[in-house]
Amino acid sequence: MSGYILKRLALAAAVILTVLVILFSLLRLVPGNPVTIALGPQATPAAIAHYSAKMNLDQPVWVQFATYARNVVTGDLGEDIFTGRKVAIIVGEQIGYSLMLMVAAMGWAIVLGIPLGCLAAVRPNTWLDRITGVLSVGTIAIPSFLMAIWALLILSVQLRWLPAMGAGEAGDYGDQALHLILPAFAVGLGWVGYLARMVRASMLEVLGEPFIRSARAFGLTPQRVIFSYALPVAILPTITLIGMGFGGLISSAVFAEVIFARPGVGKLIYDSVQARNFPIVQGAVVVTTALYILVVLLSDLLVSWIDPRVRRVL
Amino acid sequence: MQHLLDIKNLSVDFHTLQGRMKALRNVSFGMKKGRILGIVGESGSGKSTVLWSIMGLLAPNAKVIGGSILFQDQDLLTLSEQARRQLRGEAISVVFQDPMTSQAPLLSYGRQMADILYRRREMSRCEKRGAAAEMLGKVGIPDPAFRLDQYPHEFSGGMRQRAGIAMALLTGPNLLLADEPTTALDVTMEAQIIHLLRDLQAETEATVAVVSHNLGLIAELCDDVVVMYAGEVVETGAVRQIFHAPRHPYTQALLECDPARIVERPARLPIIAGELPDLTSPPAGCIFADRCPYTLPLCRTEKPPVVVGTDGGLARCHIQSGAVAARVPGAVMPAASGPLARAANEAPLLETRDLNIRFPTEGMLLAKLQGRQPKGLDAVLDVSLTLHPGETLGVVGESGSGKSTLGRAILNLVSVTTGKVLFEGNEVQSLPEHKFKPLRRNMAMMFQDPNGSLSPRKTVRALITEPLQIHGIKERDLDREAERLADMVRLPRPLLARFPNQLSGGQARRVGVARALALSPRLVIADEPTAGLDVSVQGEILNLMADLQAEHGLAYLIITHNLPVIRHISDRIAIMYLGRIVEQGPAEEIFRHQHHPYTASLVQGVPQPDPDRKRAHRGLKGEVPSLLERPRGCDFVSRCPNARPLCHEAKPPHRGVGPHRVIACHFPLA
Ligand SMILES: Nc1ncnc2c1ncn2[C@@H]1O[C@H](COP(=O)(O)OP(=O)(O)O)[C@@H](O)[C@H]1O
Ligand code: SF4
Ligand code: SF4
Ligand SMILES: [Mg+2]
Repeated sequence: MSGYILKRLALAAAVILTVLVILFSLLRLVPGNPVTIALGPQATPAAIAHYSAKMNLDQPVWVQFATYARNVVTGDLGEDIFTGRKVAIIVGEQIGYSLMLMVAAMGWAIVLGIPLGCLAAVRPNTWLDRITGVLSVGTIAIPSFLMAIWALLILSVQLRWLPAMGAGEAGDYGDQALHLILPAFAVGLGWVGYLARMVRASMLEVLGEPFIRSARAFGLTPQRVIFSYALPVAILPTITLIGMGFGGLISSAVFAEVIFARPGVGKLIYDSVQARNFPIVQGAVVVTTALYILVVLLSDLLVSWIDPRVRRVL
Repeated sequence: MQHLLDIKNLSVDFHTLQGRMKALRNVSFGMKKGRILGIVGESGSGKSTVLWSIMGLLAPNAKVIGGSILFQDQDLLTLSEQARRQLRGEAISVVFQDPMTSQAPLLSYGRQMADILYRRREMSRCEKRGAAAEMLGKVGIPDPAFRLDQYPHEFSGGMRQRAGIAMALLTGPNLLLADEPTTALDVTMEAQIIHLLRDLQAETEATVAVVSHNLGLIAELCDDVVVMYAGEVVETGAVRQIFHAPRHPYTQALLECDPARIVERPARLPIIAGELPDLTSPPAGCIFADRCPYTLPLCRTEKPPVVVGTDGGLARCHIQSGAVAARVPGAVMPAASGPLARAANEAPLLETRDLNIRFPTEGMLLAKLQGRQPKGLDAVLDVSLTLHPGETLGVVGESGSGKSTLGRAILNLVSVTTGKVLFEGNEVQSLPEHKFKPLRRNMAMMFQDPNGSLSPRKTVRALITEPLQIHGIKERDLDREAERLADMVRLPRPLLARFPNQLSGGQARRVGVARALALSPRLVIADEPTAGLDVSVQGEILNLMADLQAEHGLAYLIITHNLPVIRHISDRIAIMYLGRIVEQGPAEEIFRHQHHPYTASLVQGVPQPDPDRKRAHRGLKGEVPSLLERPRGCDFVSRCPNARPLCHEAKPPHRGVGPHRVIACHFPLA
């Protein structure tokens, strides 16, 4: 098991290294002075001077890369080209909002989608199953940014039930939660349908397995058969899927944050791209990549915690 | 004698796309208290459906049309679902066919067994654990307290089935149902499980029903027998009556087909020609009329009456009521198609010399860093074989003995570590695929599981001509080729338009044979060619293979664990254990007398379809060790009844005994 974790960490490190190499070479592959490319046309001369020194352009490429990688690993993601603030701090301020949004979105999708999928599988071809099916396909088909705009227009602009913009007063948790509802709804809705379909399909498959029939032949109650015997097996692919889906979640968070004018990494990246504030874009990409890798790692660990067969192979 | 369970006129339908399938029709039989009842019949005869009707766990598309199942004076069919659930796992319990798929993969045995005891509120968690450990110990699982915390995948096949039996017996049920309990196991494991079931039954005095298509198992284990055919009970009786004086033509035919009963090597194996009737519209008269050798017009129009024999057994046949006379052999003995061509003194077609195949079990890198050979397992060890044109060589071994790997290596699907494979005198081992491809026309593989290896979306026509297409034979020939091949394997031409799932087991197997023969190969490697087939159909495939061999001078390398089958088709056999050949020689000789203790226990371990010839000895103890833990000295030393100190020290070399035999044993049996 510890060998497995080591392996996974090594893999995670390799992925991050690759991302760094790509970000690093992007700047250097484009013809022209990397500093002006990195900082864009609006950079101040002071920033250009500072950056040139920092990138050691007179050194060989591998030294430049080593310096860059060392900086990133030690948490130095560079500085904002306008204000000179540390990128790490800027991203750190925003990441909490994004995490909150993603967790809330995925959370309600899980809480609703998985039981719906189970119910649909346990009672296939009933009205509940059919309604779930239609709704799932519907919500999967609609892109999350459209969902966000509709939710905004209907629930906030028309009905005025929920606040439309921002993340709420700092320190006022009730207000923050209220502001979270619309974006979390918009981002998570597609996942409800997706998870329900996924769980229904794997649950139906598992319920047809011989070991389910054995459990019933030993007289176990239907509840026990479903929750202790079928669900843990059926849920395994879904956990992996949720982990991997986290990447997609980051990009839907971008839309939601822009549309709802919420602070967050998505909004940060969006604004920085608009302003050609490349150090921030780079820093944010590194952080979200690391986050994504962490989530995938966690989901794999969860799977191996549930499934002794996986545990052994590792 | 008192009946624990009485099934009366049970009828069950399945709703299918083809219509209502009348899977069981008026099935009646009783189970005497404290005895073991065997239910036999070809697959599809409704044996499992009877068991699941008793449990009340039929598939959702099943419907019980009528009848009653009396158990301890109550009709199970009228009980509520709640009440039936109270009986499951308590009064009635089941041992399943495939322990791998029928045990929950994510729960430890301790947990699964505690769950089964959930109704015992008075037991503490600790007591439940204790009871579970005790039961595991009783079924012969060593170190049960530790094993309780393990999961099904950590048990070997035989251990898993033992655990399955422990789970079924945990609550002390009065009635134990076992559906093909040994079908998924190796021969030596099968013998152990049979003995275990017998001993436990004697100890607990439970009433047991065993479903099997293995007549040897039924003869060895059971006191009474019910013979089913196409959803009806055709005969019942005590085991001796059924095996020594069967009264129904179907029972007679079934017994005659079992290769284990046939002592001399016949030119042809007996078969039951024809197939199960279509159960969506079962025939009006006798259900067996289409395949029965005595059929008279009366049989087709009138249902045969149930006739009670002097011993209390029943048979449903007009012969028994005196309406039809005669008694001729039940199974058809097809005429042989001329004398079989047997090994000539020609040059060998295929030869392997000291073949070794090693699979690494760790990365090269780690071993290189530590400056040693990478760890690995030897799947094939020092295998030397020769096969002449027109000859059949049987390779026998339990699972994990490396026999399939050997076949794959000959076909260049696995790379050879050391040693040689010679085909027509040329070295062909580990060739790059483009050089080997022309040779593939001369060597064909018949796969173990035809349904798994046949693409479900292709028609039979496309499937049997696929090898021709792969080797670039012109389009226009294909239709004619398809018909030629279908005729060759006696597959009715209309079936060419069907898809694999619309074929019966025997037909699918014949498609496999046709595919193997499409390119007119000289060597056919058949991996378990009849695994999973009923004895009545198995003979058909083996006869077909023998005819094709005689006609085309084919050489067969047949890989199997089924000894009775190999005995009837092989000229020579090689017995493998842990990747090494332990004994090799002419089939007749080896079956007459075995030199190697492993061969002896295999040959003597075949369950005999004769209740008076129950095996005295208990078969081999223990299980095949993992290839990762090959014993020091002789590979067989951990299970050998004759092992002596030298056997633990030195691996016995291969040596000749007489002109044709090779063995690897320090102390061969005299
Ligand atoms: N769920 C099902 N749906 C339709 N047909 C079925 C189903 N289960 C079994 N059958 C059919 O019922 C017949 C009896 O099957 P089964 O009881 O499994 O026979 P056996 O155990 O003797 O092989 C077979 O023809 C089989 O195809
Ligand atoms: S009733 Fe007729 S067809 Fe049926 S088994 Fe007897 S003799 Fe054969
Ligand atoms: S060498 Fe020894 S252990 Fe091996 S089979 Fe012969 S007698 Fe048994
Ligand atoms: Mg069956």
